Amino acid sequence: RMSGATLRKCISLLVYRGKLFSPEHSTSCSYHKKVVDHYENPRNVGSLDKNAQNVGTGLVGAPACGDVMKLQIQVDDNGKIVDAKFKTFGCGSAIASSSLATELVKGKSVDEALTIKNTDIAKELCLPPVKLHCSMLAEDAIKAALSDYRLKQDKKEVLGEARA
Amino acid sequence: MLRVNTLRVLCRTGTLLQTGWSLKDRQSLSRAVTCALQSLQQQFVPQDRGDKRDVGVRHLCTAQVCLTCWNCQHPLKQKPAFFCESCEVVQPPPEDTSYFSILECDCTFTLDTLKLQKKYLQLQRLLHPDNFSQKSEREQGYSESQSALVNKAYETLLKPLSRGLYMLELQGLNIEEGTDSAVNSELLMELMEINEALDAVETPQEANEIGQDTKGKLADLTEQIDTALNKGELQTAKALLTKMKYFANIEEKVKEKLSSFM
Repeated sequence: RMSGATLRKCISLLVYRGKLFSPEHSTSCSYHKKVVDHYENPRNVGSLDKNAQNVGTGLVGAPACGDVMKLQIQVDDNGKIVDAKFKTFGCGSAIASSSLATELVKGKSVDEALTIKNTDIAKELCLPPVKLHCSMLAEDAIKAALSDYRLKQDKKEVLGEARA
Repeated sequence: MLRVNTLRVLCRTGTLLQTGWSLKDRQSLSRAVTCALQSLQQQFVPQDRGDKRDVGVRHLCTAQVCLTCWNCQHPLKQKPAFFCESCEVVQPPPEDTSYFSILECDCTFTLDTLKLQKKYLQLQRLLHPDNFSQKSEREQGYSESQSALVNKAYETLLKPLSRGLYMLELQGLNIEEGTDSAVNSELLMELMEINEALDAVETPQEANEIGQDTKGKLADLTEQIDTALNKGELQTAKALLTKMKYFANIEEKVKEKLSSFM
């Protein structure tokens, strides 16, 4: 659910530009249709219970532009990511990057998810150079979520051993 | 203005004009060279400046390059010089001049914004391109660039966030494009909560509450940044300005939210 004002702004931007994307014009400020798609139809917006044992939460911020991004993963007993949710407050590219990130991690194992690179995200969304840092933020959010999950599992192991 | 070292190299090699240089570059080069030649003619006149620099052939590299009017060659003593003192013709925008000196303010974080605005309006009354519609193309061009520069300076210095960031920039410090995670997790959690609360508001009153709260936080930060910059604690100021950026974004979102209710 995006606020009406921001959606109106996005649409008026597209109307003004006349085209949805123009990969040749690197100086154009239009959003690629894939970014707009994620913006208008975001996948996996929401939260998971951050206190749950099998949930990893990644919280990252970008000081230069003031964007904040939260990405959460839910992992099953086989180490496979079965659900992912995100909440991002920032520009359209940041929202799209984190939305795509949640799609990419779903179905992957924890180790496989570690290999997701910002370049995959940037390529898929055709992000212009000035917005590349948004894809980096998304990659860092994934890694932070995985790291949080790993920390919880290590704690669980340690506690388990202590009791044994 | 060209750096004096560059001037030295160019004069030595004799390559004064290169193709591909913009008109502006060539003009500033010719200005600098004209002036350098003038100081050569002055020979060894020890100027009574605080740093006692020699002016002469051997020490050309340490001579202070002064600007002259493009129209009448009268030296431009003021810095920045918007108009020539002698023929009153508009000059090209100054280079290497901070926004603070353009708008005649001290380089401090606390600023009298009323005084700033007065100076800004005064300058625009003189420099705005509308005043130059009957003048030569060159003068029109200069007035456009000058007016644009004054606009940029005013915009930057008006708001505390951009002012603070500019002051850091002057000291060679920039906020990098990296990510902030473990370092500031408490702050990020707070920001997330505020953003989520704002997203969920259903009345303008609720949005206003968040807006007031954020204004308070920004006022606090402004004070802290002022203290840090006065003490020369640049890294502290940088961290505080980063925090301010996040809250300034929230303030923007509050405004958007309130307008969506109308």
